Amino acid sequence: MVDIIFLGLAIFAIGGGFGMILFSQPMHSAISLIVTLISLGGIFALLSAPFLFMVQIILYAGAIITLLLFIIMFLNIRDDELPDEPNKNITIIIGAILLIPFNILILKAFNTFPEKSMNILGKDFGSIHSFGMELFNKWLVPFELISMLLLASLVGAVVYARKDKNRDG
Amino acid sequence: MDNFLLAWIVLVPLLSSLILGTMYLYSIKVTKIPNIVFSMFALTAPFISFVLGVSFFFRLLENSDVIIYRAYKWLSVDGYDIDMGFMADQLSIFMVLFITFVGGLIHIYASGYMKDDDGYGKFFFYFNLFLASMLLLVLANSPIIMFIGWEGVGVCSYLLISYYYQDSENVKAGNKAFIANRVGDLGFIIAMITMFYYAGSNGFDYINLELGMANVPVEVLSFIGLALLIGAIGKSAQIPLFVWLPDAMAGPTPVSALIHAATMVTAGVYMVARFHFLYDMIPNVGLFIAYIGAFSALFAAIIATKQTDIKKILAYSTMSQLGYMFIAVGLGGYSAGIFHVFTHAFFKALLFMGAGAVIVALHHEQNIFKMGGMRRKTPLVYFTMLIATLAIAGIPPFAGFFSKDEILLTAFGSGEYFIWIIGVITAVLTAYYMFRLLFVVFHGSNYKENRELHSLSKNMTMPLVILAIGSILAGFIGVPLLLGGQNYIGIWLEILNSKALHVEHSIELYLMGLNILAAVIGLLIAYKKFFNYDMSKVPEYTGLIWNKFYIDEIYDRIFVDKLKKLSIFISYKLDINFIDKIVMGISNGFIRSGNVVARLQSANTRMYAFSMLMGISVISTYLIIVMR
Amino acid sequence: MQERIKIEMADLLLSYIALAMILFSIGFLGIISRKNIFIVYMSIELMLNAVNLIFVALGRYNESMEPQVMAMIIIAIAAAEAAVFLSLIVVLYRNKKSLNSDIFNVLKQKDTANG
Repeated sequence: MVDIIFLGLAIFAIGGGFGMILFSQPMHSAISLIVTLISLGGIFALLSAPFLFMVQIILYAGAIITLLLFIIMFLNIRDDELPDEPNKNITIIIGAILLIPFNILILKAFNTFPEKSMNILGKDFGSIHSFGMELFNKWLVPFELISMLLLASLVGAVVYARKDKNRDG
Repeated sequence: MDNFLLAWIVLVPLLSSLILGTMYLYSIKVTKIPNIVFSMFALTAPFISFVLGVSFFFRLLENSDVIIYRAYKWLSVDGYDIDMGFMADQLSIFMVLFITFVGGLIHIYASGYMKDDDGYGKFFFYFNLFLASMLLLVLANSPIIMFIGWEGVGVCSYLLISYYYQDSENVKAGNKAFIANRVGDLGFIIAMITMFYYAGSNGFDYINLELGMANVPVEVLSFIGLALLIGAIGKSAQIPLFVWLPDAMAGPTPVSALIHAATMVTAGVYMVARFHFLYDMIPNVGLFIAYIGAFSALFAAIIATKQTDIKKILAYSTMSQLGYMFIAVGLGGYSAGIFHVFTHAFFKALLFMGAGAVIVALHHEQNIFKMGGMRRKTPLVYFTMLIATLAIAGIPPFAGFFSKDEILLTAFGSGEYFIWIIGVITAVLTAYYMFRLLFVVFHGSNYKENRELHSLSKNMTMPLVILAIGSILAGFIGVPLLLGGQNYIGIWLEILNSKALHVEHSIELYLMGLNILAAVIGLLIAYKKFFNYDMSKVPEYTGLIWNKFYIDEIYDRIFVDKLKKLSIFISYKLDINFIDKIVMGISNGFIRSGNVVARLQSANTRMYAFSMLMGISVISTYLIIVMR
Repeated sequence: MQERIKIEMADLLLSYIALAMILFSIGFLGIISRKNIFIVYMSIELMLNAVNLIFVALGRYNESMEPQVMAMIIIAIAAAEAAVFLSLIVVLYRNKKSLNSDIFNVLKQKDTANG
C-alpha cells in the first residue's frame, strides 16, 4: 500500500516538474509546480514528517505559489510578450545527458548506506510538539536569524516598489 | 676609558653628516639655514674624532695591546659571525690621528673656500661622510668592514668630484673616478672571497686571518696579494688605474686636498700595510708592488714637468709620491711608507690649499702661466707654499726629506738598486716640477698686473699656517739614528716591520747626501729655466709628455671604444630587435588573449549555468571512474 | 515477489534520493533551458524542494528531527526569496517590458577601442 502511494506521488511530482519546464505559459508551469509541491508534501508525510507536510501544503502551495500566480495574473502577460525559446528542447536533452554522470555519482554515494526500514514511525516523531521542542531548544538562534532575513526581504521588496514609483514619477 | 669610544671616532662624523644632510634638505625645501650652523656641525666632528683618536693614542702608548671593540653582530650565517668590529692598533690610530687632523684643517679651509657656494650644507655633508668612510676603512677589524669604508670613500669621491654637476665634464670626471675605482674594487672583492675560502674558517677579522694564512699555499697567497693590489692600485691611482686622479681635479680644491692628502689615495697604501702579514709571506708580489710604485712615480713625475694646470701638476705629484709609498710598502718598509703618507698629508694638503688660495685670488684661473708675480700679492700663501715645495722636494730639514730618504734607504738596503735609481731620478724631477710651479706662479712678472684680487678669508689662511708648521715639524718624528735623532715612527710601527735593514752608516750618509743633491739639482734646473720667466706669452705645449703619453687615448681605443660598440650593439640592435620584441610580443599576446577570454563573459546567466553543468559532468565522470 | 519489490521501494532510502535527484535535475534543466524568468524562478523553487526531500529522507533514515528543522528553515528562506524575486520581476517587467532573462546583460564585456 505504502509503495503504491509513494510511486503515485513520485510520478505526480516528476510529471509536474517536467510540465513546469515544458509549458510555455507561466500560468501552466505554476500549476504544474503546485502539483509537484503537493506530491512532495505527501512524500514528507510518508517520511514521518507530518508537520512539514502541513507546512509544505500551507506555505508552499498555499502562500508562495499563490503569490506567484497572483503576480503572473497581475502582470497580465500576453502571448507575444513571452520570450522566444527555439532551442528549449535540444538544451533540455543535452543538459539531461550531461546530468546523468552527476546523478549516478550521487546515487552511488548513497548506495553505500546500509539498508534500513523506512516505514512510518510512531506518533511522536515529526509531530508539532517534538518539532517545536527541537526548533526552540537547539535551533533558536537560526530561527531568529530567519526572522531577520524575512524582515530584510520585506524591506527589500518595499524598496524595489518605491524605486519603481520614483522612476515613473 | 672604554672601548666603545672607538666606534664613536667613526660615528661622530657619520652622525654629523646625517644631520648636515637633513639640515641641507630642510634648508633648500623650507627655509634657508645660515652657513654658520652648518660649519658648527661640520667643523666640530673632525675635532671630536681627533680628540678621541688622541686619547686612544695615549692608551696605546701605555699599553701596546691591540684594542678591539665589537659593536654588534653584523652578519650571522650558519654559525659564522661577522661583527661590526673596530680595531685600534698602532697603525690604525696613527692613520686616524693625521686623517682627522689634516682632514679637520681642510674642513676649516673649505668653510672659507666654499662660503659663497649655494650647496654649502651639501658639500659638508659629503665631506663629513667622506671622513667617516675613511675612518671606518682605517679602524675596521675585518676586510669586509674595511670594504664598507672603501666603498663609502669611492661614493663620496664620486659625489665630490662631480660636485659642480652643472658642467657635464665634471660629471664625466666623477664617473671616470668611480669606474676606475670599480675595477679596483673588483680585485678587492675577489681577494676577500679567496681569503674567506682559504683562510676564513676561524673568523674573518685580521687576527684570525693572519692565523689562517699560515697554512695556505703560496700560490693562493700570491693570488690574494695580487687581487688586493689591484684594489690598492685603483684607490691609490697607480699604473695602470691612475687615469681618474688628474680628472678628479674637476672638484672644488678642498676636495682635491682631502682626496690627495688625508683620505682616499692613502687607502691603498694603508691596505697593503694592513695586510703586511700577507705580503711578508710573498716577497715576490711585494717586489711587484714596488716596481709598480717606482714606475708610477717616474711616469707621473715626467708628465708633471710639462703640465700647465696648477692642480694637475699637484695631482701628478700626488701620484708620484704615492709611487714612493708603494715602493716602501712593497719592499716591506711599512713604517717608511706610512711615514711618507704622514708627511705627504701635511705638505700635499698645504700645496692644494695654497693652490686653491691662488686660484680663488685670481678668480678661478688655473693655468700657471697666466698667474705670475703672486709673491707680492699674497705673501703668506707664497711663504707657506715655499715650505711645502721644499718639503715635497726633499730639502732638509723639511718633512719630505726624512720620509723620502727612508724610503730610498729601504730600496737601497733591500738590494733593489734599479728601483732606487728610479727613486732618485724621480726626486730630481719632483724638485724640478715643483719649483717650476713655484717660480712661475709666485715669481716673475705678473701676467695680469692690474687685476683686482679676490680677498682671502682667515678661514683659508689659518690652516695654511698650521700646515706649514706641520710640514716643517712632521719629519722630526722620524729622524734617522744616524743624525742623532730618534726614529719614533719606526719604533711606533715596529710590529709591522719584519725585516731589519742593514746599511752601513757611511753608505747611509752618502745616500742622504745624494738625495739632497738630487733635490738641489732639480731646484737649480727649475731656477735656471723658470726664475724670472717671461710671462708675456703662455707657452703652448705639444708632444708625448704634454699629452700624458696618450694613456687616456690608448684606454679609449682599447676599452672604451670596444665597450661603446658593444653597448650600441646591445642597445640598438639586440634590445630593439630581440628583447623588446619578445617582451612586447608577450604583453600584446596577453592583451589579445585577454580580449578573447573576456568575450566569454557574455552576461548570459544561462550560459554560465550550462558551463557549470559541463564542469560538474566532467568532474562527476572522472570521480565515477576513479571511485569505482 | 512483486510484493517484496514494492515494499522495498518505499522502504529504501535510495528511492527517495533518486526522486530528489530527478527533481533537482529537472530544476537545473529548467534553469539552463528556459528564458522565461518565471520558469527560472520556479526551477529554483523546485531545486530547493529536492534538497528538502533529501534532508527529510535522511532525517527519517537517522531518526533525527534536526533535518526537518533544517527543511523548515529552507522553506522560510524560500518564502523570503519569493518576496524579493517576485518584486524584482515586477520592477524589471515594468521597466523592460519583457520576461526574457537574457536581456539582463549589463555586465557583458564591451568591445574596447584598443582591443
